[in-house]
Amino acid sequence: MRGRWDWMLLVAMGGLLLIGTLGILSASLGQANYGQVLQRHFLALSIGVGLFLLGVSVNYQVFQDQSKALYGITLLLLVAVLFVGVKLRGQRAWFQLPFFNFQVSEFARVCTVLVLATFLDRRADRIHHLKTFLQAGGLCALVLVLILKEPDFSSCLVFFPMSLAMLFCAGANVAHILAMGLYGSLTLGLPLLWTLLSLRPQWVSSSPTAAFLLSLSTPGKSLLLAAAGIFLVAFFLWKLTHWARAPVHWLIFATTAMVVLGGLGSAEAINHQIKGYQRKRFLAFLAPEIDPQGASYNVNQALVAIGSGGMGGKGIFSGTQSQLGFLPERHTDFIFAVIGEEMGFWGASAVLLLYLMLIWRVVCAARLSRDRYGFLVCAGLAAMYTAYLAINVGMCLGLFPVAGLPLPLVSYGGSSLVINLWTLGIVMNIYSHHYSFA
Amino acid sequence: MVNRTPLYERLNFLWICCYAAVAVLGVRLLQVQVIHNVRYTLAAERNRTQLLRQTAPRGRIYDRNGRLIATNQAAFSMIYMPGKDDDEKYLKGLSADLAPLLGQDPAVLLDTLRTAVREESAIRLAENLTSQRMFKLSELKTIYPGVNLIVEARRYYPFGAFASHLVGYMARMNEKEWKELKGRGYRVDSRVGRAGLEKMFERELRGIDGGIRMEIDAAGRMRRLLEHVPWRAGSNIHITLDANIQKAAEDAIRTSPSRAGAAVVLDPRNGEILALASIPDYDPNQFLLPEGTVKLAKFPEFNLALSGTFEPGSTFKIISGAAMLNENRVLPGDRTFCPGYFELGKHVFRCWQKKGHQYQEWTSGLANSCDVYFYKMGLRVGADLIERYGRIFGLGQRTRIALPGEKSGNMFGPQARRARKAGWHDGDTCNLSIGQGEMLVTPLQMAVVVAAVANRGQMWRPHFVNRIEYSDGRPEYRQKAELLGTIDLKPQTWDLLHAGLLEVVRSGTGVRMQTPGLTIAGKTGTAQNPHGDDHAWFVAYAGKEGEPPTLAVSVLIQQGGHGSEAAGPVARKIIRTAFGIEAPTPAEPESPPAEAEPNIEELRPAQPPARAPSPGRPYVH
Repeated sequence: MRGRWDWMLLVAMGGLLLIGTLGILSASLGQANYGQVLQRHFLALSIGVGLFLLGVSVNYQVFQDQSKALYGITLLLLVAVLFVGVKLRGQRAWFQLPFFNFQVSEFARVCTVLVLATFLDRRADRIHHLKTFLQAGGLCALVLVLILKEPDFSSCLVFFPMSLAMLFCAGANVAHILAMGLYGSLTLGLPLLWTLLSLRPQWVSSSPTAAFLLSLSTPGKSLLLAAAGIFLVAFFLWKLTHWARAPVHWLIFATTAMVVLGGLGSAEAINHQIKGYQRKRFLAFLAPEIDPQGASYNVNQALVAIGSGGMGGKGIFSGTQSQLGFLPERHTDFIFAVIGEEMGFWGASAVLLLYLMLIWRVVCAARLSRDRYGFLVCAGLAAMYTAYLAINVGMCLGLFPVAGLPLPLVSYGGSSLVINLWTLGIVMNIYSHHYSFA
Repeated sequence: MVNRTPLYERLNFLWICCYAAVAVLGVRLLQVQVIHNVRYTLAAERNRTQLLRQTAPRGRIYDRNGRLIATNQAAFSMIYMPGKDDDEKYLKGLSADLAPLLGQDPAVLLDTLRTAVREESAIRLAENLTSQRMFKLSELKTIYPGVNLIVEARRYYPFGAFASHLVGYMARMNEKEWKELKGRGYRVDSRVGRAGLEKMFERELRGIDGGIRMEIDAAGRMRRLLEHVPWRAGSNIHITLDANIQKAAEDAIRTSPSRAGAAVVLDPRNGEILALASIPDYDPNQFLLPEGTVKLAKFPEFNLALSGTFEPGSTFKIISGAAMLNENRVLPGDRTFCPGYFELGKHVFRCWQKKGHQYQEWTSGLANSCDVYFYKMGLRVGADLIERYGRIFGLGQRTRIALPGEKSGNMFGPQARRARKAGWHDGDTCNLSIGQGEMLVTPLQMAVVVAAVANRGQMWRPHFVNRIEYSDGRPEYRQKAELLGTIDLKPQTWDLLHAGLLEVVRSGTGVRMQTPGLTIAGKTGTAQNPHGDDHAWFVAYAGKEGEPPTLAVSVLIQQGGHGSEAAGPVARKIIRTAFGIEAPTPAEPESPPAEAEPNIEELRPAQPPARAPSPGRPYVH
């Protein structure tokens, strides 16, 4: 029989913490606040271990029972931070604590998983209903809106895959999820496409399609035309299914059309709301060669750091990119680049493999969970870790636009470390309860 | 419990998605880190290292007695290495703070800084900084990382304005030169030789630049010296010039009535140039002063000695005399009467001596420079022959001195007229015999003529390089004297020419030249100038008594008036200095050049140094 401790999870966690700590030690060397960084990191590490043990020892079902209180506290904190929080780098997202500043969105993210799991567990019999889906969405949206108020765009990115994965695993209607996915990808994808088109005027001038797509970025005649076109196409497709004697319900076409239009609308909104530095990040991602000293500096330097690491790396404390200061944000968001440069392919792939192991263990915990609630919590956390990993490492490798997201357990950042260790404690607790279920 | 099998299937799907995401990252990692490793390693190296070129000391130029005419001086330069945080604001602040200290326009400075940031390479902001400025600048260094002071060898001309047309000067490249020289190790801010020796021997003088390869951090601060590539100094050029004679010639022209003119001193035995003076001249040091303090206005770059063409005046009587005597048309004893004028048809040709010279024969005619004698004898010998002798003596052709800008002048005569389909009259012959009319010669040509007379017909190619040596003393090139041709005149003709020219100094127009212990022969000349006062000529050769002549001099004073009064004293001073009768004017520079041993001490690492920077190889070899 399996024991109370999932040793594999512990190994993965310990390995990531070890590599992360080494990376932080090296990356912050030579920075003015080296001592402070280390002090805070080890403080966060010890608090995190404490919270991990707390998570292990407290029955996870408490969170299910107290989900209303949890949700209330989360919202209260998110509102409170807007009024009494500390403003750092333009974001009012931190509570000032004696030793470090606490980032509320980290806590809110985990609470959302716990609360959403409770909600989905309760609605298990009506999980297929659109109402359930929309209510779940509303539950997340409230948290998201408050986080966006800070404003912290990057933290919100993780919510989409996380909540969708939970809905999916809870057994929600796949059509709903697909619609949501379509809406989400249109919302995020279209601004990216428009930025790309504005960077490549030769495409726009040579292709009428491209020109039309670009003209959609501002409200006008072409937008109305597109809306009418979408409905017409939907209508003809519906008719087509009738002619083909395989009738499909009209509602499907109508919703698809509505979702596409909605996505177009919110893409429009995002395109107008987007901040200068965020557009620059888009630019840097789409065309890194255009402004190597400016917008794409971070990505380029991260790629150079990782690429120059080679198989064996340059050795800890000897990476030129990180030690000479070419790599920005090196102990936080770009820690993976430091690891890639100094520990080489072996170190970087060790991070990936340890992460894979961690996610695998979380998925296993989900599978072994004694109830649906634990199952959903673990599924959400697995999706969350994957999303963080994909976005952060993808950013370092130039696969994803720069987003200010840390790499959990590896990056420097007290709140993130503490909260993530707590989530692993919860996972461990869920795992430890499996054997009483039989 | 409810049946959760379908949910497990969904969980498995989620797991596959997670797995796929990590796999994609892994593949990309492999691609970046293992496959494209070399590319990114090079990029990281480029990031980390910065090569700072150090200009090699240029080869020196020595005169025939080993005196330095062009050398190098240790000078501080301010360089700027761009860093990653150097945004527009930083550059603006830097240029605003630096501009008053460097005496430059902030806008120009800002442009230079922007170039450095764009090209991602170090750039020189100012050169040849005074120590006073340096202290102020080293304070700025602490505020602005990326700003550094380095020591370099800078060209220095100890004599200042001295033989400047021969030596040349150094200047920044223009766009066209930069395009040509880009690939040959020059930098954007390199200086190149622009005229004279500096230009001709640019390749030899330049040497091979050294450099410092250093590790810099993202702010552009130096962290560590990686490598110090020593430079190789350029080759030294020994020229045939004699600094004393050159100085005497220049000083004498400067004190002449018009303070403008040229003097060429040749060794008639081999064509070596002992002095090549052209006044007005310029101080080549001024082009190397810190930028902004010298406006590169028009400066006298025109070399009168070989680009200035003048009527030869009476100095041409040497050639017309040679024609008369050598062709047996005139015997040395033929006498003629000079009443002060000569009537030819309706025209009256005047002698320079209005009261006339009475009876004149060859020696006295030349000594007194009697125009009437030469009118008459010229008509007797004919213009065709005079023109031919002019060409034999090399007039109307370049002397083939290896300097750019030499003019061939113009030999004028019936032949030339026929080519232009114009008529020739006896009056023209009269003018030709005394060197007036359309004829134009350069002071250098006249020096070659008088040298050929002195050595009885040998035409040496004038040259000024003696030898070129590598910086370690190995010979690179040795110039040989080049005989271009021999003027084949009868020995008696040479004797008579010499006798006449000696008489000029003994009793004639050049009597003030007389110097005991020396045999001096010469000819004065006063060339009519339609644009102003007459140009004064004096050509001469000299040697110790009883020895063959060793010096040929040609002096032209622009608008100086009479040859004997304006040009004579210059030639006299040159000859007396050359033979050591007159002490050379102190030609030493005001302050001897400080050839301090340069080092790169100023280039201290920004952080506590990993190791002490190795001292730069001294370029004083």
